[in-house]
Formats: sequence, structure tokens, C-alpha cells
Amino acid sequence: MHEATIAQSILNIVTDRLKSVGVDACALSVEIVLGEFRNVDPESLSFAFDSMKDLCPATSNCRLDINVINASALCSENAHNYRPVAELAYRCPACDGGIAKMVHGEELDVVNLIIEVANEEKKHARIAG
Amino acid sequence: MHESPDEHALERILGKNEEMAEHNSDHFQRSKTCVFNLMSAPGAGKTTLLEATLRSTKKQFTSAVIEGDMVGDLDADRIKALNVPVYQISTGRSCHLDAQMVGRLLHAESIVATQALFIENVGNLVCPAEFPLGEFRRVVLLSVTEGDDKPIKYPVIFRNCDLVVFTKCDLLEYVNFDLSAAEKNLKALNPKLKTLRVSSKTGDGIDEWINWLNNQMTEYQAQLKNEHHVHHAAH
Repeated sequence: MHEATIAQSILNIVTDRLKSVGVDACALSVEIVLGEFRNVDPESLSFAFDSMKDLCPATSNCRLDINVINASALCSENAHNYRPVAELAYRCPACDGGIAKMVHGEELDVVNLIIEVANEEKKHARIAG
Repeated sequence: MHESPDEHALERILGKNEEMAEHNSDHFQRSKTCVFNLMSAPGAGKTTLLEATLRSTKKQFTSAVIEGDMVGDLDADRIKALNVPVYQISTGRSCHLDAQMVGRLLHAESIVATQALFIENVGNLVCPAEFPLGEFRRVVLLSVTEGDDKPIKYPVIFRNCDLVVFTKCDLLEYVNFDLSAAEKNLKALNPKLKTLRVSSKTGDGIDEWINWLNNQMTEYQAQLKNEHHVHHAAH
């Protein structure tokens, strides 16, 4: 159950960005991408995030949006692009090859953060990387 | 390890751990310490394999051990009995070691001085896979009493490792563990993965395992030498 650690890491990223904007900033939502080939359960992560976000007033209204990314891989036999799934023991359905390269499915990143700056007229800012 | 960060990423969520792991790795390179991260389910025989390894390699290279456990120091006591320096990390509620925990031991005398450092992670096939520690090689143990379906159930850890050691192979005749099926399942996840079969109890396969360790240490030293040359040439 390391989802609590991951929730805390997301909140740390959010509060670091808020600090760089100013004291009156608070977070409205944070969007992450989560590959299905990571050991992270979206429901547990949401639960952990919602349990921890109240500890800081600037994140207490922050919503966590999780975009789960399907795995896709290139197979070792013919470089077929396929989705490795447990039902097929992660093998290529066309030729039985294994995962030579993972194209998608290992993401675990913050991709978007929406904040509100209280003292200016309600302004939504997208923090660019 | 994980290959596919999102191209629109603002920040990697476990980026802090990855940075710490890099930092640890830099320290280990400076002290020429070759680090092995040993991972498995609880009870797969990590400590027993370590005991067999340490007994057999005393004359080949110096070793130190970091033991990661949620509670207690039972494993550390077993290593201490072999007169090998051992450091215990009690993780409390955490089900894995992370790079920061290992980072607190970077300046420990025996860790700076040793040629090989074995980090025995907390017994768990899920969480340790997500937290690199700064190791040179990742080894996963799979005991034959666990079942040959484990690579299918825990694909992430078996995909992101350099070697799988089948342990307790002396019990193969008593359990329904299909080694070739397990190997096939592992190769699907990681076609280049190497596997070994050992019994720490009978000693079967221990020589091959120690050969593998020696080869990795030679490779590590060669890499350091090359990097030193590149670095030297740049000045």
C-alpha cells in the first residue's frame, strides 16, 4: 500500500507549485496520468489523496483527476504493437512474442494543475512545465 | 526502469525518489561499491540465500548488508552471526525501502569500504518495484513454493529486474511448480531476462549465482573505469 506515499508526492508537487505562485494561491484540481503497468491502484490513490489533502488549506479543495493509460508494447518477435494483458500472459496475440519495448503504460506523472489566486479576480491559471 | 513518461508531463510523481536514487548511485560509484537490490515475497529465502552467499564469498570480495524490515532485526542478527557488517532499516508502516532511507547510510564506514553491498528489501512483490534505491542490479527471488503464476500476477517487479533466482529448488519434487512455464512467463515480460535455479539448503546452483555476482561486479568496475576515462579526457 504505497498509494499513500504517491498521494503525498502529488500533494508535495502541488504545494511546491503553489508556493512559486504566491501566498494566496490554492489548488482546484490536479490531473495525473497513470499507466496500467505501474503498481498503483487508482481507487486507493484517490482515497489516500482525499484523506490527506485537508492537512493543508491550500489543497483542501483540490480534486484529483486520474487518467489511466492502457499499456502498449512492441513485441520481441515482429515489433507488433499490442496491448500486454494478463489473460494472454502479456504475450503478443499475433505471434506469441514478449514485451521488447513498452511504449505506454508506465506513466506516473502530473500533467496539469489548476490553481486559483484569491486576491486577483478569480483567475484560473494553468501552470506550465 | 520505467520507460514511458508522458510527453506532456509537468513532473514525475516519484521524481524525488529517482533523484535520491541517482544521488545514492553517485556515492556508490565514488566508493566503487557494487549494489544489489534483492526483492521477493516474504519468505522466499532472501536472508538464507544471503547467508549462503556471504559464507562462500568471504575470500573473493568484501560484503556489507542493509536489511529492510517493517519490524525487528531478526534478519540482521543472522547476518551479524557471520561477522559481516549489517545495517538495519526498520520501515515502520512502510512496505518498501526508498532511496531516502538508504541515503541515510551512504557515509556508514563499512558501506563506503565494501566491494559488494546487498540490500535486502522488505518482503513484498508490489511496492519495492516502484522505488529504485541507487542499485547497480535488481534481483528478484521466486521460491518454487510460491507458484509458477507469480510473474503473471506481479508483472511490474519481474519486468523491471536483471535476474530472477528460483529458490528452494530442492522442494521441486514436492510441489507443482512448472519451471519451464515460469520461465516462459518471465520471458514474455522481459525477453532478455536471465534466470538461475538454486537451493540455499543443499548448495545446488550457488556457484552459478556467485559467478553471476562476480560477473556483475567485474562489469561494474569496467563501467566505472570507462566513465573515469571519459571524465578524464573531458578535462
